[in-house]
Amino acid sequence: MAANVHPWPLTGPVQRGVGRSILLTLPIVLWSLLMFGRPGAHDDLKTGLAGGITALFMIALFFMMMRTGTTYRWRRWFFVSVGVLFPIGFIHQIMVTRGTMGIPIEEMIAGRTPFCFLPTPLLILPAALTRTIIFPGSILPGKGMAGGGIAAMIGIWLAITLVIGKGWCSYACFFGGIEEGVAAIPKRAKIRNIDPRWHYLPWAVLLAMVLLSLALFEPAYCMWLCPFKAVSEYVAARNTVGLIQNAIFIVLFAALVIVLPFLTKKRTQCSFLCPFGAFQSLFNKISVFDVRIDREKCHTCVLCQNACPNMPLTKESIAKGEALMSCMKCGACVDVCARHAVSWHIKGTDVGLKPERARLMFLYGAWAMAMMFGGSIIAQGLATIIGAFA
Amino acid sequence: MEVHALYGDALALGLASGPACLAACGPVLVPSLLTGQAGFLPNLRTIAIFLGTRLLGYLLFALVAWQLGALSSMLIKPHPQLIGLVYVLMAGVLAWYGYAVRRNCAGNCSTSKLVTIGATVDASGGARQGIAGVAMLGFLTGLNFCPPFVVAGIRAAELGSLSGALLFFAVFFAGTSVWFVPIAGLGCVVRNQALITVARMTMALVAVYYLALGLYMLLGR
Amino acid sequence: MKLRAQLGYAGAVLTMVAALLAPFVLYGSIAKGVASLGLHVDEVYSSGPKIRSIQQGAYAIDVHRTVSPHMLQREKPFVQLDWTPVSALPSHVTDEVDVDGDGKPDVLVSFNVSSDPNAQLRVDVEPLSPRFEAVKNAGKERYSRLIVRVDDSILVRIPLAH
Repeated sequence: MAANVHPWPLTGPVQRGVGRSILLTLPIVLWSLLMFGRPGAHDDLKTGLAGGITALFMIALFFMMMRTGTTYRWRRWFFVSVGVLFPIGFIHQIMVTRGTMGIPIEEMIAGRTPFCFLPTPLLILPAALTRTIIFPGSILPGKGMAGGGIAAMIGIWLAITLVIGKGWCSYACFFGGIEEGVAAIPKRAKIRNIDPRWHYLPWAVLLAMVLLSLALFEPAYCMWLCPFKAVSEYVAARNTVGLIQNAIFIVLFAALVIVLPFLTKKRTQCSFLCPFGAFQSLFNKISVFDVRIDREKCHTCVLCQNACPNMPLTKESIAKGEALMSCMKCGACVDVCARHAVSWHIKGTDVGLKPERARLMFLYGAWAMAMMFGGSIIAQGLATIIGAFA
Repeated sequence: MEVHALYGDALALGLASGPACLAACGPVLVPSLLTGQAGFLPNLRTIAIFLGTRLLGYLLFALVAWQLGALSSMLIKPHPQLIGLVYVLMAGVLAWYGYAVRRNCAGNCSTSKLVTIGATVDASGGARQGIAGVAMLGFLTGLNFCPPFVVAGIRAAELGSLSGALLFFAVFFAGTSVWFVPIAGLGCVVRNQALITVARMTMALVAVYYLALGLYMLLGR
Repeated sequence: MKLRAQLGYAGAVLTMVAALLAPFVLYGSIAKGVASLGLHVDEVYSSGPKIRSIQQGAYAIDVHRTVSPHMLQREKPFVQLDWTPVSALPSHVTDEVDVDGDGKPDVLVSFNVSSDPNAQLRVDVEPLSPRFEAVKNAGKERYSRLIVRVDDSILVRIPLAH
C-alpha cells in the first residue's frame, strides 16, 4: 500500500454489538432531547423538522462510532455538514436581514456586525490595555445581525474550549469542514512531501496579527487575511484598499480551502495559516485528553502522519510517542493505525491502558459540544433549505 | 513656564504615551528580540540599542526640520511619501534581518551575539562586522511619525530654541522608554529552532505589511 | 491506581461535568463575566457617548463626545452629530451647531434628505471654529468623515483639525 493512501478501516480495536452500542448512545439521545426537543427550541414546523433531522443524524453518527470503534470518518460527516450548511444558513440570514454579504459601514457603526470567534486572540491585548474591543459589534445581544453579542460568543467559545481544548477545530469550527470535505475527495494526495517547517506558520501569523492588531487597533486578520470572508461576509469595499482586501480573501480561499486541500489531502488553511488554531493549541496544554503512541507497538510506518489532516505528528514526535500541541483530536491517526499503537489517552494514566475508556470519556464531552453548537448550525442550514422548498 | 514644570510635563507626556509607543514598535521589536540571545540582560541591551537609535532618528529628524524652519508643519501634515519610504526601508531591513538570523544563528541562537546585517568578508579575508539589525530598525522606527511623537514634537517646536526642543524631546523619550523595560522579559522564553523559525516568519509577515503600506503611501494614497 | 492517574481521571470526569453544564450554566456565566468587565466597542466604530441634545423644532441634534484614535489608528479625531428623527427632517437641512456648548456655533452642516432610505447621502461642513476641518461633498469615505443613515437618525462625523 502506498504510504500516502490510507483507507479508513471499517473497525477499530473495540467493536460492539448493536445492543451495547445503543446503550452507550442513550446519553446522546437524552442530550439531543435537551438540545433539540425542549419546549421553545423551535418556532415552527420547519425548524422543528430541521432540528429532528439533525438530532437523528448526530445520534446515528455517534451510534456508528460506538458500533465500529472508530471515530474519524463519522466525525467527518458531521464536520463537513457544518462546513457546508453554515454558509447556507448564515448567508441566507444576512441577505434577509440586510440584503448584502458586504457589511455596510452603517452596520458597523450600529454595532450589528456578527462576532466570529476567529479574531478572539487579537482582541485580548487591546482589551487588557485599554478596555476596548477592536471589533464593530455589540458586547450584549443586539438588533439585526448582532445576534447574541460578543460576550455570548466568547462564552460559547470558552465553554467548549474548556471541555475539548483544540478539539474545537474538529468538533466546533464552522469553517474547517469545507476544507476537510475537499481533502476527502481525492483518493491520493498529489503533493506528498510537505516541509514540516510550514506548520510553524500559523504561530507566526498569530504573533504578527496580535502585534499589528495592537499597533493599528483593528482586527488585522479580519481586515487582511481571512479566507472565509468568501463564504460569510466581508467589509463592503469603499475604495481601492477595500477591493484589494476582498481580492486577497478570494485568492486565499481558493488556494488554501479548495486547491491545496485537494492536492495534499490536508486541511491546509488550518495547518498553515489559521492563527486562531495556533491560539487554540495552547488550550491543549490544559486539556486532560490527548493522543499517545505506544512505542513498543509502533513500527514507524508513519501511516498516522499521512492520515493526519493537520501536521502535529512529526518523525520526532512519533519517536517520543506523542502528538504536538496542535493536535485537533479528530481521531484520524488512531483509526488508521493497523497495530493500534496510537490511542486516545488521559494525561497521567499509562499509555495504551484502557484507551477505549479515554475515547469514550472524550467523545461524550466532544459530541455534547458538537450537538450544542455545530448541531444548531446544521439545523439552521437545513431549516433554510426546507424553507426554500416549502 | 518654570523649567521643572516644563520638563515634568515632558516626562508625564512620555509616561502617558508609552503604551502607544510600545504598541507601535511591537511588530518590529518583538520578533527581533525573539530571534536574539536569551536572557533578561541581553534583551535589555538589545532594547537599549533599539531605543538609542530610535532617539537618534527622532533627534535627527527634529534637527533637520528645525533648520528648514518646518518642524511644526511637517509634524502636523507629514508627507505621506516620506513615511511611505520609511516603511519600505523598514520592510527591507526586516527581511534582511530575518535572513541574517539564519546565517548568524545556524539554528541555535541561545549563545550567539547580536544579529548583524551587512557583514562581509574583505579582500584580505577578514570579516567586517555589519550593523546591528536592531540598530537599523530602531533608527527607522524613529523616523516614523507615530502619534505620541507628533504630539511631543509639536510641544517641543513651540519652545523657540533648538536645544530646549531637543532636551524636551529627550525627556519625553525617556518617559516612553520606561514601558519597554518589561519587554526584556521575552529573554526568559527558551530559544529553540521552533521559536526562531516562528520569529523569522513573523518578521517576514510584518515586512510584507510594511512594504504594502509603504508602496501605497508612495503612490500618493 | 497511582495518584497521577487518579488526578487524570478526576480531570476527565470534571471535563464531562463541564460539558453537561456548558449550555445551561457555564456558557451563560462566562458571557455574563465578559459583559461585566466594563469593556466597550472601539469608539471609532460606535462613536463616543451622547453628551448633549440640541432641540431644533421637530427634530433634535445629538452631540457625542469627541473620539480620539488609539495607538496607530489612521483616523483623525472626530465628533459625531445625530439628526433624529429622520421623518421630522426637511428635505434640505442646514444647521449651525454649537458642538462644545460654549454658546457659539462651531460648524455649519448641510445635507439633503431623501425619502429613499437607501439613497447615498452627501454632506458639506463649513467650520465656524478653527477646531474643525471643512468637509466637502463627503459620503462614507472614512470613519472620521462621513454621513450615514442608521435606523431613524442621520449621523454626521466631522474630523477635528488637529
